[in-house]
Amino acid sequence: MEHSVREEGGALVASFSGEIDLEHSPAARQVLLDCVGQGKKVLVDLSGVGYIDSSGVASLVEAFQRAKKGGLEFALVAVNDGPRRVLELARLDKVFTIHDTLVDGL
Amino acid sequence: MADATQLGAVDFEGALALLADMTQDFAEAGDLGSTLERALASIAQHVGSAAGSLWLIDGEGHEIICVACVGPNPINGLRLPVNEGIVGKSVRENAVQTVLDVANDPDFSQKMDDESGFRTRSILCAPMCFKDDAIGAVELINKRNGDGRFISSDAHLLQALASAAGLAIANAKLAAAQLENERVRRELELAAEIQRNLLPAPRPAPFPICGVNLPARTVSGDFFDILPLANARFHFCLGDVSGKGMNAALLMAKTASLYRCLARDTVIPSQLLERLNDEICETATRGMFVTMAAGLYDANTGSVCLANAGHEPPLLHAADGSLTDYEAQAPPLGILPGTTFPEENIALAGGSLYLCSDGLTEAGMGSGQALGSAGLRRLVQRLAGKPVAERIQAIVAEVSSLELRDDLTLLAVSDEARTG
Repeated sequence: MEHSVREEGGALVASFSGEIDLEHSPAARQVLLDCVGQGKKVLVDLSGVGYIDSSGVASLVEAFQRAKKGGLEFALVAVNDGPRRVLELARLDKVFTIHDTLVDGL
Repeated sequence: MADATQLGAVDFEGALALLADMTQDFAEAGDLGSTLERALASIAQHVGSAAGSLWLIDGEGHEIICVACVGPNPINGLRLPVNEGIVGKSVRENAVQTVLDVANDPDFSQKMDDESGFRTRSILCAPMCFKDDAIGAVELINKRNGDGRFISSDAHLLQALASAAGLAIANAKLAAAQLENERVRRELELAAEIQRNLLPAPRPAPFPICGVNLPARTVSGDFFDILPLANARFHFCLGDVSGKGMNAALLMAKTASLYRCLARDTVIPSQLLERLNDEICETATRGMFVTMAAGLYDANTGSVCLANAGHEPPLLHAADGSLTDYEAQAPPLGILPGTTFPEENIALAGGSLYLCSDGLTEAGMGSGQALGSAGLRRLVQRLAGKPVAERIQAIVAEVSSLELRDDLTLLAVSDEARTG
């Protein structure tokens, strides 16, 4: 898994690529919590992610919960079919705001 | 390099005897600390130094700490940055350091003398290595004999003795790690035993509901339960905690216990999930959540009332052979307090309802042999007509030879006995 964080249009955009699985979810968690800790709107760009398991989803959930507590916007953008199916089957599309593109999210 | 006269002065027999004694002492040692003290005292006496200390790199690698000491002013426990002093240099460069007169050596750190009140004149320091890395060093201070300076034969001797000490320390650390691993393994097995007792015991056939749980590791993040109620009704559930390992196992234990406790009073599945969700939300950490399908089977009518919190879609295999998925209408437990869980009323009408965790459909995914939901559907159709317990075992047997990436749980509610 690789990641990068940049600021765009007043939001922090955390981009991930590869697999967010049990091995990589602790790193993803830290990146996301650091972003939320900066007190800005956070967009999680998953366009490079082909697989996410439940530990990876838990990292997203934790960051989402932290953002919600701080009154910050938190959304997922550009989610590929595989991870989107995982989120939809678990009805996490009812939990997360999901935008088709980064531009939509901004 | 040492000249011939200096080399000739070495007491080889004495050195070999010391090395043999030290190695034996290390091999038999129960307490590494006192063995190191004894070894250091023997080395200092044999080489003829006024004082000596034995240092180990700390876990982070930025400091060295004095773990054994001989001489008039003990400095046990003293910590120094690894980038300072002669010991630090010996460790950094993984090489013997000989300082004939500290007054002329820029690397000498005054800190140790300040701490001990000792006055250092000359130093001989050899690294202790394990697998080419320095793990610490043995330092001797102020040679007693001759002109008070250490010679190259002293350096060779100290290097040999320090190597033996290094090997002994590394062995002792490995042995300690092995003991710790063994302790953790025993605790995990105990936890697994407690977990197995949280699952319902198999009931003698004919019984309409049957389940199986296979942990990918020692402990499981999955669970199922079957609770017979009055008037031929049965509560059942299957849950899957996010992640794997001990944290998932602990949340599994909590959720399974809560279910067993709440299901006795809360018969309606949607209400049961609402109560479970609110309880889990109160203490959930690190974004962990539980996907769970819970249902109430009425063996008088063959109907199932099902509520699903983000779990894999239960699969109905109807008596006419058709297959229907029931996708979740609400997110998993532990994420949003106050979530409601819509119910589905399913008429089994002589068919069977299968619930599984994704560990079943994803087993063997690493080697491209995953059963997948299509594979499960084919298996379910192929096994039609067999007793429910046999079907469950056959499905698990199909994937048990594959690599389990996740815990695997399967449960089936069969309405065949009622109609058949």
